[in-house]
Amino acid sequence: MNRIDRALAAILWVLSVLAIAGITHIVAIFALPEVEAKDTYSRIAELSKPGQAAVLPQSSPDKPFVPFVDPAMVQSICPFDLSEGGLRVHADVEAESLLTFSFRTSAGQVFYSMSDLAAQQGKIDVVVLTPAQLEIAEANDDEDDPSQDLRLIAPETKGFVIISALAAYQSERAEAEERVKSVACTVEQTAQD
Amino acid sequence: MSLGTAITMKRSFWARATIFGLFLSAGCLGVLIGLFVTFVEVEHGKGFAAMEAGPWTGWPRSEASDIDPYSRAILAYSGKRTLSESDAMSFVAHGDSDGAEFDPACDYVLKGEIPSARYWTLTLLSPAGDLIANPADRQGFTSSELLRANDGQLEITLSRHARPGNWLPLGRASKFILVLRFYDSELSAPAAALDAAHMPVLVKGRCE
Repeated sequence: MNRIDRALAAILWVLSVLAIAGITHIVAIFALPEVEAKDTYSRIAELSKPGQAAVLPQSSPDKPFVPFVDPAMVQSICPFDLSEGGLRVHADVEAESLLTFSFRTSAGQVFYSMSDLAAQQGKIDVVVLTPAQLEIAEANDDEDDPSQDLRLIAPETKGFVIISALAAYQSERAEAEERVKSVACTVEQTAQD
Repeated sequence: MSLGTAITMKRSFWARATIFGLFLSAGCLGVLIGLFVTFVEVEHGKGFAAMEAGPWTGWPRSEASDIDPYSRAILAYSGKRTLSESDAMSFVAHGDSDGAEFDPACDYVLKGEIPSARYWTLTLLSPAGDLIANPADRQGFTSSELLRANDGQLEITLSRHARPGNWLPLGRASKFILVLRFYDSELSAPAAALDAAHMPVLVKGRCE
């Protein structure tokens, strides 16, 4: 090997190091949210079963539950598993009381979010479905009396909904908890005919 | 086997070993550099979606894919918005308007304009995101709870000692940060241009 050969080999080596570093960096950046989220979301998911809402424990200075929570918010989680049928989220909304819904995949990725401002006639009705369940639901629709449900297609069969209510005053905590608890999560049995 | 063949075989073995070593070292070094850059980026970076306004750094609400992978990784790593990312537009301050890091031995006043929102909340947290114990059992304010001056101006005093008006106790924290969250606000639009003049300022007061 003469000098030029050696130099070329060295340059090639450096380039390959950089290429591998670049690929590692990109993979790590994309993988990080899922890896980081796993711990939190698996802990949250343990609190409840699909089609059942559970109020998240209140974080306090001596008992932190999840970091960076808003202490003015009361939150509940409602996991879903669409293989057992769609998930229906129903809420009766009071004016002026903030209630938010965050629809997520099991890794915590948000695929839809809404607040009580989206309510129609004081009600929120959302059905989370797989594409196949949506087809069945649409086929069963009565053309004269269309469904008022908001139908969402979930990117994955498993996931969860986080429901949050704001206690505008510290004294309203109990009331906010009632508001969160009043949101009903039920498994929707789609008619198979 | 003649001596000549043995030497050629030995040479080719070493040549192969060298090439294999080069590949291995390139692979290991590359992975290490890649992970190191990632670590530095999530530890110190802010991501492309971050918005700066005075002492505040904010991230828009994020849904599915409308936030870049860097911002997503940084937010996930810090755990800043695990449960609230789609509900609120949030801003974090680590220091006052002069750029100095918060010192719990000092008083701070948060005042000035605040962007309009249906509700907003201000929370005092440790840098790791935990609530800080204090005798008054107050970790923050909501926009409803706030006492407003006659001219409608907003003013919140952060101090270890009781203060008149809107007092946010610092407790025994050795370090703290502030989080401002806007619920149902026009700021939620990712493209919302942000002007530091419309965010509250943080002024350092007397120190112990």
